[in-house]
Amino acid sequence: MKMKKVVSSLLVAAMAASLLAGCGGSNDQATTDSAPADTTSESSSADTDAEPADTTEASTEDTSDDAEPAAEQTLKVAAFEGGYGADMWSEVVAAFEASHPGVTVELTIDKKIEDVISPGMKAGDYPDVVHLATGREAALTETLTKEKALLPLTDVLEMTVPGEDVKVKDKIIPGFLDTLATNPYGDGVTYYAPMFYSPCGLFYNAGLFKEKGWDVPTTWEEMWALGDTASAEGIALFTYPTTGYFDAFTYATLSSAGGSDFFNSCMTYEDGIWESENATKVFELIAKLGSYTEGTTVANANNDNFTKNQQLILDNKAIFCPNGTWLPGEMAEAPRADGFEWGFMAIPAVNEGGAGCSFCWFEQMWIPAAAQNQDMAKEFVAYMYSDEAAQIFAKSTAIQPITGVSDSLEGDNKMFYSIYDNGATAVMGGFASTAPVEGVNMLDTLCGTVNSIVSGDKTVAEWQAAVEEASDKLREAME
Amino acid sequence: MKKVRGKSIFITACVAPAVILFIIFMMIPTFNVFKMSLYKWGGYSNTKQFVGLNNFKILMEDMNFFRSFQNTVLLIVCVTITTIGLSLIFAGILSREKIKGQNFFRIIFYIPNILSVVVISAIFSAIYDPNSGLLNSIIGIFRGSDKSPILWLGDQKLVIYSLVIAMVWQAIGYYMVMYMASMASVPESLYESANLEGAGKIRQFFSITLPLIWTNIRTTLTFFVISSINISFLIVKALTNGGPDGATEVFLSYMYKQAYTNSSYGYGMAIGVVVFLFSFGLSALINFVTKREPLEF
Repeated sequence: MKMKKVVSSLLVAAMAASLLAGCGGSNDQATTDSAPADTTSESSSADTDAEPADTTEASTEDTSDDAEPAAEQTLKVAAFEGGYGADMWSEVVAAFEASHPGVTVELTIDKKIEDVISPGMKAGDYPDVVHLATGREAALTETLTKEKALLPLTDVLEMTVPGEDVKVKDKIIPGFLDTLATNPYGDGVTYYAPMFYSPCGLFYNAGLFKEKGWDVPTTWEEMWALGDTASAEGIALFTYPTTGYFDAFTYATLSSAGGSDFFNSCMTYEDGIWESENATKVFELIAKLGSYTEGTTVANANNDNFTKNQQLILDNKAIFCPNGTWLPGEMAEAPRADGFEWGFMAIPAVNEGGAGCSFCWFEQMWIPAAAQNQDMAKEFVAYMYSDEAAQIFAKSTAIQPITGVSDSLEGDNKMFYSIYDNGATAVMGGFASTAPVEGVNMLDTLCGTVNSIVSGDKTVAEWQAAVEEASDKLREAME
Repeated sequence: MKKVRGKSIFITACVAPAVILFIIFMMIPTFNVFKMSLYKWGGYSNTKQFVGLNNFKILMEDMNFFRSFQNTVLLIVCVTITTIGLSLIFAGILSREKIKGQNFFRIIFYIPNILSVVVISAIFSAIYDPNSGLLNSIIGIFRGSDKSPILWLGDQKLVIYSLVIAMVWQAIGYYMVMYMASMASVPESLYESANLEGAGKIRQFFSITLPLIWTNIRTTLTFFVISSINISFLIVKALTNGGPDGATEVFLSYMYKQAYTNSSYGYGMAIGVVVFLFSFGLSALINFVTKREPLEF
């Protein structure tokens, strides 16, 4: 009897222990899993077990002789897989490894890269280089910026491009390094390296204009006139995929309304700037555009259905849609009206006689301050601006802001990138980074409200006041 | 004496795994949520700043939060009342009446529960499509197709009810099966005697079925509160993402936005604390209000 009890107690204890051991095991699993490169790693020599030892070894050696990359090193690169595909990244990494003997690059690439790398980052395991733009829904880049967890790239700009004798900053097209989209704190220090850029503007069906004998409007007056003509034929003037696309639209029109200094004042939350005359022009312009917007747009302006709004352009149900150059690729498989032909134009000037404007959106590359292998990371960022790397990217139509790279483009893409050659002003930047302010989200207030304006649930005055209020709160959080 | 001691050791050993797991996976994380709600933290760096109850103070002035609160309460109330009514009726019919294809209906009603919420969202975004959607096509037969379409997901006054429909559709089968299970255990003799005394079907339902499955209904009410809060997040995330312009923002979607996209992790946790207390309080209240002497049969 007693024996039985002892045996069963032992059994229970064993069960409990194995249960806990099981948990412990799965915990361990989770942490190794989150070492980002494991599953998608492209490098052949990545050995999961040896990996942590590898990196520490590399970094210690690295500090002792920083310019000599001869020692065995592992560089962890995490890249966002955008519309350009993943192949170009593997190619660039292979080329980097070839030109840097002894360096192994562990590449993690994913369409939702933030979900792949952030669990590891929370546990303190950071990639060395990250290619991930601002403005993504998960806002990982912004969060790290607000947390001051990025490495300044000032010395990268002064570095010589590997294999060439030009400095990095001299290769980058002038203007790309003076914006809030590279210097997020507005203090002149570069934290994001500008990568693939893409002009944003209004897309339309050029075939429709030919068919109807309409002229492409160049001013807002012509735009409204076209809107009235088209609505008589049952075609709406405007649609938008989701309100998220109004960031580029608003930035461009703000800059067009008040010039680049005014635009920067808006982006740095200057007091009263959103209630100024120039800002009012932009708010009213968008509201008027709202009244020309296709009726079902709001209902489909969500992540599930935004392609239905884009489809309106292909079906000749709406004329203009704000978007970036990835749109034709995104809609490549979609059915379309006869004679459809992509057209792309800058946003007409807000002030009479002014130049059209186009927001230039670009992706960014950055180095986390907690990266282990910072020197090699900087070398990698500098390498991105080499002719060798730029050509690999350009093959996939990913265009970097390097002088002359866009010359190699053909067809539709050539038209998209020639928008600035035709007189449109390039607008770059974005809201300055502040300490996080609870409950205040500028882009939601500025862009998300467009849905309410179009549906008539809010007035322009309410919208403007809400934006100014958000701007006030964010200004206090700027340092 | 020794025997008693041995027994208590045995019991401790038996209970220990569950207790330890509960502490590690429930108590500590919950405690952490409460703790983090007192900090200002972005989620990544080591710069956690203790701010006391400041997050809650901001919360009390955050109109967007109140909007999500209203939406959540509306969803809980509408979804609970509609689902409980419909699933009781269906369960009553399917367990008491002899109708053809009983099992078929049982399966049909249960199917939405097996589907993942993302699939349900896809189904409903097709149903709600303004131009080619099922709902507008049917309504168009009656009101004429030349009228401007009803924007189920675009009209800010309507969109929350569109979510209610999707959530009710999703939940009915699950609760129906639960009610049917407890209805099956109600003794047939009670219905027979009621029949002899001339009570009609409806009378039988309210005087026999409902009182006898009351404990089950009480349990499901708590489920309703919890699942409405959870499922609404999933559906909102997949169907509208809180839009248009925050009209469908609910508790958890707002919490998620604040914690993960607005870099205010501590603030998000403060919302979490409010959600925790609210659902706890509401469940307790419902439990208290619906307390009846359990009927034996």
